[in-house]
Amino acid sequence: MAIASLSMSEWDGRGLPPAAQARIARASTAHVRTSLLSAPAAAALGGLGLEPVGEVMGCVVEHIGWGGVGCGLYYSGMGGMSYGYARTQISGQGGYAGYAPYVNALYYGYEQSLHRMLLEAQGLGADGVVGVRWTQEGLDETGNREFVAMGTAVRARSTSRPARIFSTDLDGPDVAKLLHGGWAPAALVIGISVGVRHDDYYTRMQARPWSNTNVEVEGYTELVTHTRADAREQFAVRVGHTGADAAIVSDMTLRVSEVEPSDGHRDHVAIATMTGTGVAKFHLGVAARTDTLTVMPMRTLSSRSRP
Amino acid sequence: MTTEPRELGLPEDAMRRLAEMRPGQATSLFTSDLSVNEFLLVREAGFRPLGLVLGSSIYHVGFQMGRWNKNQELTTLTQAMYHARELAMTRMEAEADMLGADGVVGVRLEIEFKEFGNDLAEFIAVGTAVKAEEPPPTGDGWRNNTGKPFTSDLSGQDFWTLIQAGYAPLGLVMGSCVYHIAHQRFWQAMGNIGQNTEIPQFTEALYDARELAMSRMQAEAEQLHAEGIVGVQLLSLPHRWGGHTTEFFAIGTAVRPLRDDHVIDTPQLVLPLTDR
Repeated sequence: MAIASLSMSEWDGRGLPPAAQARIARASTAHVRTSLLSAPAAAALGGLGLEPVGEVMGCVVEHIGWGGVGCGLYYSGMGGMSYGYARTQISGQGGYAGYAPYVNALYYGYEQSLHRMLLEAQGLGADGVVGVRWTQEGLDETGNREFVAMGTAVRARSTSRPARIFSTDLDGPDVAKLLHGGWAPAALVIGISVGVRHDDYYTRMQARPWSNTNVEVEGYTELVTHTRADAREQFAVRVGHTGADAAIVSDMTLRVSEVEPSDGHRDHVAIATMTGTGVAKFHLGVAARTDTLTVMPMRTLSSRSRP
Repeated sequence: MTTEPRELGLPEDAMRRLAEMRPGQATSLFTSDLSVNEFLLVREAGFRPLGLVLGSSIYHVGFQMGRWNKNQELTTLTQAMYHARELAMTRMEAEADMLGADGVVGVRLEIEFKEFGNDLAEFIAVGTAVKAEEPPPTGDGWRNNTGKPFTSDLSGQDFWTLIQAGYAPLGLVMGSCVYHIAHQRFWQAMGNIGQNTEIPQFTEALYDARELAMSRMQAEAEQLHAEGIVGVQLLSLPHRWGGHTTEFFAIGTAVRPLRDDHVIDTPQLVLPLTDR
């Protein structure tokens, strides 16, 4: 492939970077198939007719600043009143969009890394990627972040090919069980939301330290509830866009931090994410196979683990 | 070369379904934070997941200190820990109610003390709302006697087994007790040096605190007219109050019988060849 001889500085940022192009070119002539699967995962998938064709990776490094950080109070229309009642501002709900660039940058990082991984999988002739690890990591203190998607590309022993390569963060055995149950993994999806709320008078009173009263801090509850609800909504909408019937959530995170845009003025910022796999039902009309055996494993299991 | 139908079956069907998928086509989508095993088992038990439900409360836990050398319950803290969990649970139940659920399975109650304020903690209840395909054999509904969807912290596997054995969950029941355990007086501590001896006031404190937590949980189950409580966990949670102040927390799922015999198939023994 001629394109593989391009150097990174000549790459126009579209499609795959030259290094990944070169890997695909190499894979087309090599006979070694690599995979990140564990032995049970490979056995479970192989038994179902999904053969690994190679491990695939996509990554992006992005510089993300706090963008248009302003004060949550100003944008909720309270002017400078310090005794007013503030409202949570959510990135996904229009209105105050101070954090929208930040959220869009996160979405870009996640989606672009996944997209590149899928392009690589496509180059290997795969139908899907299983066991995807989808992570982000700060590289330094200046706001450079790396987004990585990494998984094992598989090809089905089948005459039909999916319209879009499927991706899932479920591992091999889970994918096999899903398929046995009549569900096909469709796409890995993330929903992200950022909410900001000014500490108004009531919030400050409710949260003041060393007081002996038990009280719900309604402002903070509102902040986390709205932000998380928005992340869930975004997640559901995005899963809906893929055409899936259901989603299996694998991770839900929420981080709250305090920011001080000016003296004696505190806001709280919440970042919520929800990650999971959209799944599509294919046992149309007929009930899924129900052949669960009750077995008693001969080993000690922690009774609280949810395997 | 001919291919066995069995060999082509599953991936063929799955790939065909993926080939038909069109972005944005209308589906009745649900989300669930059950694992794959749990998701499939809950469906096999005759329940359809409706969606992930969640309730949250950020709560300021009041400040209270125990007397240095006295065994005592710290009622302000007990009330805070109970009330905040209840707020989170009620909100989760309200979400499930809006979805028209019969119950919520796989409920997790989590507490996270926040870094951004003193004595601030987020209490979260998360679970998956489910709806039954059939009414229970007892003739009434799946909801409990308060008219709310049942809740249960059992895993999907335990839930499946429970239904197979002819029991149905009624509700998550809990009891809390935050207890201050007295410090030893100086001369008493000196007297114990180098000896193997029981410290009666410590024993008494731990007994007392656990009994209080368990009896409160039991009272909740009685209100639901439960036959019993399964999967009880009795936890000692130190939270942030130092070595002598601990929350004792009892939580379990209250159940009722669905039929008279409670026999399940004899399980087969398996020896897994994996090391986990």
